[in-house]
Amino acid sequence: METFDEHPRGALHAYLDGELSLEGSLEVEAHLSTCSPCRRQLETYRALRRVLQQARAAAPEAETALVRVTRSVRARRRRAFAIGGLGAMAAAAVVALVLIPRAGGGMVQEVAAVHARALESGRSVELASSDPLALGQWLSARLPGAVPPTAGGDGFALRGARVDSLDGRPVATAVYQVRSHLVDVFAWPSAERDMEPRPSVAGRWTVCRWSHRGVAYWMVSEAGTEDLKALAALIKERRT
Amino acid sequence: MDDDSREFEQFARPHAAAALRLARTLVRNEADAQDVLQDSFLRAFRHFRGFSGESPRAWLLSIVRNVSFTLWRKRERDDPGDLETTLDAESDPGPSAEARLLEACDAAQIHAALDRLPGLHREVLVLREMEECSYREIAEILGVPIGTVMSRLSRARAQLVRELVGDPRSKN
Repeated sequence: METFDEHPRGALHAYLDGELSLEGSLEVEAHLSTCSPCRRQLETYRALRRVLQQARAAAPEAETALVRVTRSVRARRRRAFAIGGLGAMAAAAVVALVLIPRAGGGMVQEVAAVHARALESGRSVELASSDPLALGQWLSARLPGAVPPTAGGDGFALRGARVDSLDGRPVATAVYQVRSHLVDVFAWPSAERDMEPRPSVAGRWTVCRWSHRGVAYWMVSEAGTEDLKALAALIKERRT
Repeated sequence: MDDDSREFEQFARPHAAAALRLARTLVRNEADAQDVLQDSFLRAFRHFRGFSGESPRAWLLSIVRNVSFTLWRKRERDDPGDLETTLDAESDPGPSAEARLLEACDAAQIHAALDRLPGLHREVLVLREMEECSYREIAEILGVPIGTVMSRLSRARAQLVRELVGDPRSKN
């Protein structure tokens, strides 16, 4: 393990936060025993923590808000029940509402925003690999039930994967490249019936959703509609 | 048929206060914070069956964050992307008197100083020091690598100290 030629800046914070291994902590402590500026800094940050914790406000109204939300959900369901008199159908509709994510324009915008954010931050892939098996294992270790990516081909190179978040849920994301464009492919198990690719355009982004054999897909890229349809066809072919 | 909403209450209740505090940190206006909280609970309720991660708190807080950003975008207010560019470098350790000066600050001063920080600094401090989230949870909530959490946190602490006790190197 490296020793600190200079002050262990980042490690000092990790030490304070209890995020270091035993070995790392010992290393920092050895440095602290000989370095008074670092000791002072640690003392300062400990004091900062104490005052921040004292300033932490209680928020009892948060629970009230939670109960208000769940109560209104229950009230809405009772109304749905009473109005139709078709109990089972109403229940099915409620279940569908709960299980299926927003499918309208809001989702297109969000998919585009997630893609833009990943590109801007330069962390489109958390694991870079062209091996679908390795990526699948990596994804399912982080997200049980994750849909594994399929291999690249036909001008689409598989670049890697990440776990991103869509509509408030973690989602397995495979990243392909066609020419100079990266394509994010979000996929999750779904009870949706098979659906042909439906492209739409959101600003500079093309978004395309489709379903195949119990998996819902959303794809987004700067590449055009034809490219995304071709990638959908490739994934379908590899999946069968 | 109401079981899932009761189950959701159980699931979310331990993290409700943290969710509201984060919402307040991110939107700064009580009415907006309450809206964000309610939207977040609704969204979380719709999807909590599909949740399979390790930390319900991190998941719930990441939703609060997404909802807050959606509100930001709607208001066309400070874009978190811009805030990042205003982050500045860590200062040298000041005199040990800093710790004593800090201890003398009251809650109102702390909150006022937090309000002067860029949003990305404010939220990482609140998550770490007030909610006591691990680096891993914070990374999950913010959607950034752990290394980024560390560097952001160290800058945020340095900046908050400067806000509270002044920069020993500046003339004022």
